[in-house]
Amino acid sequence: MGEQQVILVTGAAGYWGSRVARGLLVEPEVHVIGVDRAAAEEVEIEGLDYIQADPGNPLLAELLRVEQVKTVCHLAFEETARPNETSFEYNVMGAIKLLGACAESGVRRVVLKSSTMVYGAAPNNSAFLMEDAPLRGGRRAGYNRYRCEIESFINGFRRQAPELDITVLRFANVVGPTADTPMNRYLSNRLPPTLLGFDPMMQVIHEDDVVGALVHAAHSEVSGPFNIAADPPMPLLRILALAGRLPLPLAHPLVYRGSALLGARRVATYLPFETDYLRYRWVADLTRMRELLGFFPQHMANEALEALARHLRTAPFTERRDGHGADAEALQAIIDERRARREASDKATEQPQVEGSEHEAEDVENG
Amino acid sequence: MVDDQERTRCLATTRAGAQCKNLALSDMEYCHVHAVVAADPDGADPSGADNAPASSAPDEASTAPSEPELRRQMAAELNRMIEELEQASPDFTPPPFSPTALIDLIKQNLEQLPAPMRVDALYRLRSAVLDDDGLDMESWRDVWYLIHYWRSHHDSFFERLQGQLGSLPLPAGVAQRLGAIFNEDLLDPETWKGLWFMMSYSARYQADMVRRRFTGEYETDEWGMDWEFLDAVRPFFTFLYKYYWRVQTTGVENIPDYERALIVANHSGQLPFDGAMIGTAVLLEHPAQRLVRNLYADWFPTLPFLAPLLDKMGQSLASVENGTRLLENEELVAVYPEGYKGVGKLFKERYRLARFGRGGFVKMALKTQAPIIPTAVVGAEETYISLYKSRTLAQLTGFPYFPISLTWPWLGILGLVPLPTRWSIDFGEPLSMDAYPADAAENLVLVSQLTDQVRNIIQEMIYERLAERRSIFLG
Repeated sequence: MGEQQVILVTGAAGYWGSRVARGLLVEPEVHVIGVDRAAAEEVEIEGLDYIQADPGNPLLAELLRVEQVKTVCHLAFEETARPNETSFEYNVMGAIKLLGACAESGVRRVVLKSSTMVYGAAPNNSAFLMEDAPLRGGRRAGYNRYRCEIESFINGFRRQAPELDITVLRFANVVGPTADTPMNRYLSNRLPPTLLGFDPMMQVIHEDDVVGALVHAAHSEVSGPFNIAADPPMPLLRILALAGRLPLPLAHPLVYRGSALLGARRVATYLPFETDYLRYRWVADLTRMRELLGFFPQHMANEALEALARHLRTAPFTERRDGHGADAEALQAIIDERRARREASDKATEQPQVEGSEHEAEDVENG
Repeated sequence: MVDDQERTRCLATTRAGAQCKNLALSDMEYCHVHAVVAADPDGADPSGADNAPASSAPDEASTAPSEPELRRQMAAELNRMIEELEQASPDFTPPPFSPTALIDLIKQNLEQLPAPMRVDALYRLRSAVLDDDGLDMESWRDVWYLIHYWRSHHDSFFERLQGQLGSLPLPAGVAQRLGAIFNEDLLDPETWKGLWFMMSYSARYQADMVRRRFTGEYETDEWGMDWEFLDAVRPFFTFLYKYYWRVQTTGVENIPDYERALIVANHSGQLPFDGAMIGTAVLLEHPAQRLVRNLYADWFPTLPFLAPLLDKMGQSLASVENGTRLLENEELVAVYPEGYKGVGKLFKERYRLARFGRGGFVKMALKTQAPIIPTAVVGAEETYISLYKSRTLAQLTGFPYFPISLTWPWLGILGLVPLPTRWSIDFGEPLSMDAYPADAAENLVLVSQLTDQVRNIIQEMIYERLAERRSIFLG
């Protein structure tokens, strides 16, 4: 391919957006445009063509046409515990508007990040859920509800815009030292709650492999939904053991009622899943990932969990060190500022005008 | 492998305690299954000579390759052992060595071996003596010394024990019996060594297992099957199989050793013990000790403790997708097409098969060309005497059916104890699916025909077994 490939990444200021943008920029022939609501100064990615805009802005179609974007990675997604109007507007309506804009402006491929949670956890789930399994995801957690909404919209939209390839990557529980995901939050509890007498099989995937899969899918020629997870699936209690956590087994009727009583926000930090996800099996089949997409995670499930366990063991100490680091930086900034002011005032004592010296001091500060 | 008439039967016993039915491998006493179990790393070690019975010591020596290098190594090893023993008890001197005395010794100890091995051992011994490359007299002398050392200590141990036994204030009969035991292998020091080794090993293994449960260092397959867990619960099911229901199993030879196959069985007995017993039967009686993947109803995943238990024992939810996937992995799958209708039968309806579902099991078999093994379980119907099914209580409790039996729910949890009837499990002739094309699973007429055919075969098998059965509890 002689001409430069243009890829637009929405949510480029967020965790996944910025990491995927960096991953895409590794290829020299790729021009990456980042779009997000954050100010341009906050996004420090070398080589990224950043534009401050709302991903749901109707003018985005115009931008896509002007820049001749062929691939869009839609990663603007707010993970909220509780469904509310603003996040619905941003997540669901944003995705719908973006897909509409893509269909109108000659974009060939859209890549979205979803979760295997959209299948839902149910006693009659097939042992390995294929991509065409019905989407029966729980609707109480905001993030899962929005993903189900977006996915069911896409299922209809594929027929409306057949020339647009939509690739949805459904990731298993994302774990790793840096990402903020439900599974990471769950495992950072000292005693993660489990249901007494239940030990469902679960899959995990390392955060680096999530980025790897999204970059892989952006360059790939195939489309459709794909389950992405690391081998092997393992029982929840083994996941806890590998992450170095002891389970807190609770009777399941208590958890069902308790989580409803306590309210989503309080429970969200402690139990980020709906209760069914800790009770029934929701293991996804990975045949399409291996054979059609040709993606193979770099981390085995136990390696991903060991990476998290290492982070969890050091977290109490490293956070304090980071604090010191931040202090030192802030102090250095203050010292620099004062030194500049002192130098300016020294200069001012040589010159008779006092007001001019103040102006100079401000200039030095800004410089 | 069957055409070789020369080969003997495998010497090992199966886990059920029966003689293994497989032929032995050409150069071993065990079949392909037990060869791995019997492979003993110490067997090849020449140091085993000091505690082996008399005739097997030279026997082992003679089986070593006749290269002089190896022989020299062995002689050095024997010398080293003798030195060690001499240091341990310097006052020990063996009787003077002579070939006739050695032959006498061999005669005495030969009786400890089973008959076919005796002849073999003698042949080997003769060749070792006649062969120029065989052991030299020095090595024979070493062997002589070791055997006598071992015997003298062995005997003194016996004498001490029997002396102590005589001094104990025991009734005459008991002392006599104990004395008889002491003369047998039970008080052979080797037995105790073995026992000690096994006990300390199992204690260490169990401590290690508990530790690894906490650190996550255990493996399950992708379905959740956990061999360690299976080994832990196996004794319970073996007890039920052998002593509680005294299951009589026929036709295990119809189950292939490695390939895929689909066991289709009748379902009965209110609780799915019949599935557990079919699994135990194959694990205990079949030479390949295969794991049966039972497919269970979608009510069980909702039950605490039972759901993970079933998963860890390698069972999975009954669906055509799951069954097909398992069969494609060359697994042995068992299905119970009667479902709740079968398991929840009333006592008066016993042994009359219910409708065989919607033929999902035939679709699985046709898709994967897996042979169907019709299986009849007799005896499970009488474990509970269900008189009535209460729809109201079923709705209230969320059970798929709620039986009222002679004991349940009147006796509470005790009402769940099944009656100790005598069971029989018959694995029938496999029905091959090879003749049908790959897309035959879409042919609904064929599927329903095959469903009925399998159902009739199983019904006939049940009637046949019932005709032979004289007593519910004694078989």
